Amino acid sequence: MATVTKSYRQNNSAYWLYLFPGLIGFVLVVGIPFLMNIGISFTKWRGIRMPTFIGLENYERLITDGAFWMSLQHTLFFVVAMAVVPTIISLIVASVLFDYVSARFGQQMSSFFRAGYYLPQILPISVAGVLWGWILNPHGVLNLILDATGLGALSSNWLGDQTLAIYSLGFVMVWLQIGYSLVIFMAGLARVDPALYEAAELDGAGAAQRFWYVTIPMLRPEIFVIGLTTTIAALKVFAPVYVMTNGGPDNATLVPSFFSYYHFFSTVRIGYGAAIATAQTAITIVLALIFLWVQARQTEEAAHD
Amino acid sequence: MNRLAKLAVALAATAALSTGAVLAQDKVLKVWHYEPADSALGIAWQAAMDKYRETYPDTDLQFELKTFDQINQAGTMILNSAEAPDVLEYNKGNGTAGLAASQGLLQALDDVYHARGWDKIIAEEALGLGKYDELGVFGSGPLIGIPNYGEFVSVFYNADMLEARGMAVPTTLEEFTAIMDTFVAEGITPIAEAANDYPAQHLMYMLTLKNADADWIANFEGVKQDLDTAPFLAAGQMLVDWVSKGYISTDATGMNADDMTNQFMAGASPFVVGGTWLSTSYGNIEAFTASQFLFPGQKYAPGSTGNMWVVPVNAKNKEAAYDFIEITLSPDVQNIMGNEGGLPIAANSDTVTNPVGKTTTALFGELVSRGGLGYYPDWPVPGFYNEVLQATQAVIGGTATPEEFAARLKAFYDEGRAMM
Repeated sequence: MATVTKSYRQNNSAYWLYLFPGLIGFVLVVGIPFLMNIGISFTKWRGIRMPTFIGLENYERLITDGAFWMSLQHTLFFVVAMAVVPTIISLIVASVLFDYVSARFGQQMSSFFRAGYYLPQILPISVAGVLWGWILNPHGVLNLILDATGLGALSSNWLGDQTLAIYSLGFVMVWLQIGYSLVIFMAGLARVDPALYEAAELDGAGAAQRFWYVTIPMLRPEIFVIGLTTTIAALKVFAPVYVMTNGGPDNATLVPSFFSYYHFFSTVRIGYGAAIATAQTAITIVLALIFLWVQARQTEEAAHD
Repeated sequence: MNRLAKLAVALAATAALSTGAVLAQDKVLKVWHYEPADSALGIAWQAAMDKYRETYPDTDLQFELKTFDQINQAGTMILNSAEAPDVLEYNKGNGTAGLAASQGLLQALDDVYHARGWDKIIAEEALGLGKYDELGVFGSGPLIGIPNYGEFVSVFYNADMLEARGMAVPTTLEEFTAIMDTFVAEGITPIAEAANDYPAQHLMYMLTLKNADADWIANFEGVKQDLDTAPFLAAGQMLVDWVSKGYISTDATGMNADDMTNQFMAGASPFVVGGTWLSTSYGNIEAFTASQFLFPGQKYAPGSTGNMWVVPVNAKNKEAAYDFIEITLSPDVQNIMGNEGGLPIAANSDTVTNPVGKTTTALFGELVSRGGLGYYPDWPVPGFYNEVLQATQAVIGGTATPEEFAARLKAFYDEGRAMM
């Protein structure tokens, strides 16, 4: 018995060898830059020559910087636009495609829609950004269509208006994100035992009830994974803002990543940029840990059920 | 022993081979610039590269097209790395070339300038933006950049739209606003503008220069004192006034430079207040005749000698870099630039036949002769470009008052000055 345990342990430690390449990559690409960034955040640095240590000065400035707090508020908005709304929409669409379209019109039709919804994920973000720029600019396609259909009163300066800009960006993010969660939900639905639906139907459950009492509980693991990954993506969002609005108009779409980039590369206040990035990372890690903790508790509860 | 000797020989041979290879690779000239291939500068510099390859067939000229933003935002880091090219187009101004020069990243070119006889091509007076002191402020210090072209902001106009209404090119601001009132009455927005991009800050600075004098410009650009906002405040008020009168649409806040150009090219607006880098493409418009006039009623306009060739201290092949710069200053290349509608710094104006190039060159001559080059708003402190852009966008969009606009510029400027 003892020998078995020992050999098992030996085998186990041998696995570490295989983890090495990944670990080296992690240390080089994530670990070291991460620590360097924390180090730089305590300095004043113009990007060349030696940084000067200034202690917590950058952080003191950060907590009083209105632009930073504004960017955090915008982050909350992006969590709604990238995590909450697309997840709800794709959950509904996935179940319609799976339950109704695929049953009524066949598997092919449902695959066609799935691919269509996924398309935005394949487009490079810079291309999508330029396309949306054409659609949303004041003389763009959207306003032309509104004018031509007699809805001219609705046409707006979508990306240039102080209050509208962030909603326009949010809409584009929803368009972008649906495909990602949709594909995962559809894979999840394929895993669900059809007998559950049949049983529910025999018990007289309607479509809405089946969705609420069968689909959602069965997809709980997928919902968690998507919630986590899209929330983190929302906290880090950069490219769409960079391509479409540059954080403008007048900082109305400023997000922490762009704010940090701005200080790194435009004002060349590298230490301050690093402080922003560090604060952002801390927030992201804390939220991710909360998420994982909640998920772990939920799975435990599910196991006890 | 024998074996060891053989090994040593083999190693030595390998070393020799690899040094040989390194030497051969040394004959590489890396050139970077960021002018679009179909612009006057892009075409002229392509010709310069062809000529270089012909003249120096042993050297492998490697060209990479960058973007303005790439060089504007990551320039110092590139120059500080081993990846720096041998010669590159670099943005003039304290925040860019000045920052790099003050950090010792750029090769001083004073000796080369005299030794190679470039002093006969470009006058010493035109080199102010190529010199930076130890604080990175332009005007004095070692020469680190060689300009190759000029640029200035003027008013492009749709000559057909003006002619159809019997309007002449305005010579005073009152005439100009009267023309714009007529267009507004017809439901046409007179000035196509882009405030989600660089053009709006050029109009803003044009209006700023209306209330500026030589001292103010020297203090502002030289970061000599905290910002005196009076001319900016006046410009902000004028912008608000122009928006309310309909000369500029608030739609501008959602438009970039391409959108603005599309508006002008579609004939939707008769005017663009823009830089000479637009001359070539506006000169090629076939649907109507586009031309340009100097912004009326004031001495100064945004303008300067253009971006410059710089040689990084880390460049591996400096002599080849100088050879290349020399070719871009040659009459052939300079004339090509003029004939493509560009604004060469050393072309013979008699040999420029292209009408756009001729107009641009003539207006530039007029502006220079009255000492009216007012430089650009974004030069003084690093990162000012973005701040000016956002503040201008806000004042045009109506989300900032002229007072808030001026205060915002002052806060950023003064803080940047304190950091110098």
